[in-house]
Amino acid sequence: MKRARRGVAPTSSSAEASARVDRMDEHVEASAGAASSAPSTRQNPVRAACGAFLTIASSTGTSCVLLLLLGLLTWLGTLAQVELGLYEAQKRYFESFALVERVGPVPIPLPGGALVMGLLAVNLVVGGLARLRRGWATAGVLVAHSGILLLLASGFVKTWWAEDGHVTLFEGQSAAHFESWQRWEIAITAPQSDGSVRELVVPEEQFRFATGDAPARLASPELPFQVEVGHVLANAEPAPAGTAPGTPAVDGVVLRALPRETTAERNLAGAHVALIDPSSGARHAGLLWAAEREPLRVEFAGRTWSIALRHERYPLPFTLRLEDFRKEDHPGTAMPRSFESDVTIVEAGASRPLTISMNQPLRSGGLVVYQASWGPSNARPDSKLFSTFAVVRNPSDA
Amino acid sequence: MIARWRTALIACVACFGLGLAAHGAQEAAEARPASTATVTNAPATTATNATPERNEPWSEHALELAGRLPLQDGGRVKPLSTYASFTLLRLSGKRSLASTSGVTLDATAWLLDVFFQPRRAEREPLFLVQDSDAIEAIGLSIEGKKKRDRWSHAELAPGVPKLIALAHQYDAIEPKLRTSLQQQVVTLAENVFAFESLRGAFDWARADLPVAGERVRAVFGGAASVSFSNALARAPELARLHTELTSSADPAAGADLEALYALERAADATARASQGLRYLPPAVAASAREEWFTPWSLLSDAFGAGAVDPRHVRALEGWERVARGGGDAEAGFVTAEAASAELAHARGEDEKLALELAYYRWSPIGWSHALFGLAFLAAALLWIRPTSSALHRAAFVLVAAATTALVAAIALRCAIRGRPPVSTLYETVLFVTATGALVALALELMNRRRIAVSAAAVLGLVGLFVATGYETLDKQDTMPSLVAVLDTNFWLATHVTAITIGYAAGMLAALLASLYLLARVLRVRRNDPVFFRELARMVYGVTCFGAIFAIVGTILGGIWANESWGRFWGWDPKENGALLIVIWQVAMLHARLAGWLREYGLCIAAAFGGTVIAFSWWGVNLLGVGLHSYGFTSGIQAALWSYYVAQWALCLAAGAVLWRARALARAAR
Repeated sequence: MKRARRGVAPTSSSAEASARVDRMDEHVEASAGAASSAPSTRQNPVRAACGAFLTIASSTGTSCVLLLLLGLLTWLGTLAQVELGLYEAQKRYFESFALVERVGPVPIPLPGGALVMGLLAVNLVVGGLARLRRGWATAGVLVAHSGILLLLASGFVKTWWAEDGHVTLFEGQSAAHFESWQRWEIAITAPQSDGSVRELVVPEEQFRFATGDAPARLASPELPFQVEVGHVLANAEPAPAGTAPGTPAVDGVVLRALPRETTAERNLAGAHVALIDPSSGARHAGLLWAAEREPLRVEFAGRTWSIALRHERYPLPFTLRLEDFRKEDHPGTAMPRSFESDVTIVEAGASRPLTISMNQPLRSGGLVVYQASWGPSNARPDSKLFSTFAVVRNPSDA
Repeated sequence: MIARWRTALIACVACFGLGLAAHGAQEAAEARPASTATVTNAPATTATNATPERNEPWSEHALELAGRLPLQDGGRVKPLSTYASFTLLRLSGKRSLASTSGVTLDATAWLLDVFFQPRRAEREPLFLVQDSDAIEAIGLSIEGKKKRDRWSHAELAPGVPKLIALAHQYDAIEPKLRTSLQQQVVTLAENVFAFESLRGAFDWARADLPVAGERVRAVFGGAASVSFSNALARAPELARLHTELTSSADPAAGADLEALYALERAADATARASQGLRYLPPAVAASAREEWFTPWSLLSDAFGAGAVDPRHVRALEGWERVARGGGDAEAGFVTAEAASAELAHARGEDEKLALELAYYRWSPIGWSHALFGLAFLAAALLWIRPTSSALHRAAFVLVAAATTALVAAIALRCAIRGRPPVSTLYETVLFVTATGALVALALELMNRRRIAVSAAAVLGLVGLFVATGYETLDKQDTMPSLVAVLDTNFWLATHVTAITIGYAAGMLAALLASLYLLARVLRVRRNDPVFFRELARMVYGVTCFGAIFAIVGTILGGIWANESWGRFWGWDPKENGALLIVIWQVAMLHARLAGWLREYGLCIAAAFGGTVIAFSWWGVNLLGVGLHSYGFTSGIQAALWSYYVAQWALCLAAGAVLWRARALARAAR
């Protein structure tokens, strides 16, 4: 199967994200550059402004305020995990630029974790490294500050460029891709005239906020139709028509919204889709639901197309096959002492066996594959087990 | 006026100290075996049941032998005395039992009663009920009992059916959402159930198994009934007979086979209650079979394998002798203990038993607690007579002795578990207390200001009070097996140890800062600026020391996470807790550099920092899942909030005093 990873239609949100990244890089560079030019005269207003900026940017007082803000965010973000779960709390408090915290009825605007940590990095570079007196007495401080800066930088890289997900395999199964825990994508499989199949993938950003009133329209030169995605629900279940007013029914079934799970990976997203013939305007409606076993199949222009809503998939640089999974308990208890999976890695035609266990992950091709979970929990001694490996591609850990 | 204040304060502190010291001494006394004072005068109660059951006190020798019997529980081999101690603690909230006859039973004596004299054990006031509402809920009268009291199984028996029905109903409710009453009912039902299982654990040793069928009887020399050990000894013959009978065409074989199965069923019925107790080490190496045997699994294994080890038969014969009463109970213990010890020794599983017995017998923690109590008294007197060098020396020596005992306890635990010093929450308390006291002693040696030594005494006393309280609330073996992810001595030794030293230094800094603030607020030593300067210097030094360990520990934790899970940081609550400590301490140090915090301000910040550490250390564990016993969490929650509120109130009061002093100074200018 040929496979193309590309967006079907451009949208603004990912472009915005990269713009933010650029701006922040400039900020760091600009301030670092300013640090090297010594501020001296007071006549030049630009220089005076630079000097004032430098003083504020490099002061320990600024570090103090930023640290306290980060501390406050950390505390709030920890408490919020009880209600929101880790994933949502992390996005809200630590990966954001600003947020509004409600204390009872009073809304309090706060800077987000990304902003505070970015500013802290600037403060560290200017005050903690560039302007610090260098000598044996400050060597320790310099090392500590460089270390923290490195941590902030690698955290930044991890947050923006890492892919993480999992592979779940029953004994004997193999996989060449891993999938995200939380992120969704819509995959459209197009049969080609030469008999092969081509898969078009729409990332979550392009349809996440689509509603019934403001649906997302997806188009591609490779598709003879447009795809309209609306009524996107973060967590949903199918229900008989009429039980969820305002959502369109397809063949007597609607998708009913459910409250979000605190454990974000348990959410089952759903959406209403329509394939639109651009020439006639004819619509073919359907429902997408993440727990559906089979993709939605549509006959169009004499070919069968299938559309599925699923967790975002990333290719593995090798094929991973689970040979055997072992769970060992402390003797006479149901308390696990170790989990181990014997796997085979098939890479460039060669295969090698190895064991992945707790605290002993596999590192290969820029990926870390570690033992995360197993099941089924009610397995009998002779039944086949599955093993879940969490997979992380973290560029800052290459 | 001020003098009166000071006297009142010191009186309060001294009372508090005395209370804690008395508690520590009591712990030490309880921890030592009470067997010498045990049951020698207990009146013999008449057994109403027809089952042959012994009814007499246990000799000291018997208790000694039973106490060191190896047993596999919670995934590790431990002495029966440890098992008995934590079981009694779970059921009654104490490690000894005040029996109806007026004598105090130690845990091993109590457990032997439950095993071998169950009718007697049923009448002992065992089950701790926190609130008599739970008793009324199961339809019993609470007349003559206190609101919080201990109930015997015999007293509860009429209400047990209702108790089980209610517990079943409440158990369906998520633990976090249960009311206090519902949780108590569930806990009581679990405890009654646990008692009833223990009570039947040696039914097999009292039982006579019926033998029918000509060929089955022939195996036992024609006997109509046999003991369990006898059946075990003949297991190979029974297995052979079973093979013969199942393949035989003889019509009489059917009846014999049925008789064989009947024997098996009878053995099963008597041994079923013993399921949880694994006190019979396999005769093979640990690599071949890790799990120890219960009498029932031993019999079925011998039957399946067609072989039996004579030591197993001897062990069971020994227990039968104990269970069947008469004068030779002690001989029974000797036989059973010798057989089990020999088997455990052959497997190399008895190495740590002697250490563990010594740990609980000599109770270094109890001693340390008592010594810290005395040190606290000396320190309190030192506050009244700050110039007395005798008191200073006494306080120092007592703190040093207490710390030595505590360090010995930690070292013993490391040796027993084969682990670095900290791998459970309980051990963090011990380690924080020991490290804090050691740092304070070092400070005292450096500046001899008589402040750090008092702080060490307070820290030691409160720390061990918390450790004991935690153990009593948690009611679990404090040396448990570790879950898979923690099974790494390298990271336990580096990351966990560093973080815990960070906790210790932060708590010591908070304590010293609180002393500073308290002295300021109460206007003690107003004319002694050197005292305050030295104190603040210590707070600063200890904070720097703690910050280094907190930072290193947090980064090591990140490296562990990165090695094992491919991500350095995941914003997990425990990670965030460590980060909060680092942030707070680093912010304090930067605020001092910026000139925002001086002596006084630094101490307010350090005192507040104590609550940041408490949140990270205990608070985050109470946020989510994992630890969900209601009584456990509510007890810790209350203690934690008392600490938060006390520290915050002190910070606020100190802040107000500082603000007023500044306003007055400004007005004067």
